[in-house]
Amino acid sequence: MNCNKAMVLMSAAIDGELTAQESDELKLHLDECPECRAEFQDAKNTKIIIRERIVRVKAPKTLVESIVRMTNVIS
Amino acid sequence: MKEKKKALSAQEELKQKEFQQEAVVHINALYNYALHLTMNPNDAEDLVQETYLKAYKFFNSFERGTNCKAWLFKILKNNYINKFRKNAREPGKVDYDLIKDFYHTIKDVQSDTTEAESDFFHSLLHEEVYQALQSLPEEFREVIQLCDMEGFTYEEIANMVESPIGTVRSRLYRGRKLLRAKLEDYARKHGFNTDTDE
Repeated sequence: MNCNKAMVLMSAAIDGELTAQESDELKLHLDECPECRAEFQDAKNTKIIIRERIVRVKAPKTLVESIVRMTNVIS
Repeated sequence: MKEKKKALSAQEELKQKEFQQEAVVHINALYNYALHLTMNPNDAEDLVQETYLKAYKFFNSFERGTNCKAWLFKILKNNYINKFRKNAREPGKVDYDLIKDFYHTIKDVQSDTTEAESDFFHSLLHEEVYQALQSLPEEFREVIQLCDMEGFTYEEIANMVESPIGTVRSRLYRGRKLLRAKLEDYARKHGFNTDTDE
């Protein structure tokens, strides 16, 4: 496997979406390629950043109440 | 007659209960998704309301125990397209003022600690990460949101965006590559050297 292919697989790897065969092939390549190992860590970090840095808020209480009310009214 | 009425309302009660348990529980995730699509809290609220209204009306066609969150997200996305697409900005064009306003109206409840190991990441402001994400073409941004923020599987995402799984995989790969490049631009502005061989 060359590095280009490894990089494409890495993206799916961090999501746990590789097939068993792809996973084995990637692991083999990573064992031999320090550049790709570093790249893999970077890819993982990017995902972490998105999860941690993008603000997530709670739905406003008024919205929640209004939806609960709405489902009680419709029949 | 009276008994038939009673039976109906018991059925209705069950529907309401199931709806609360299966659908309403996802309201925070839906609201966040709507916020990121509309960049406007009022529009996001309207969108969520309409989504739940539609979902409740069609709840009997939803198979209990299957992925309700995915089902709701799909309804919301369709509502968004019908309602807001006409006025939406061009793909890749970021409204920086809107983003700044947006960030000022919501409280940042996240701590600054991160599992990611290098200073590169600490140097990035929340706003910048957001801008970087928003500047991506919509088809990339959307899959990153659905995967990284909402935790949907590729299969679920494929269903939601109505594309093959291979396309989802490819968009995530290309989107993340673009995103990483933009994040590095921001980090460089903060004086962080992004060259790996110094």
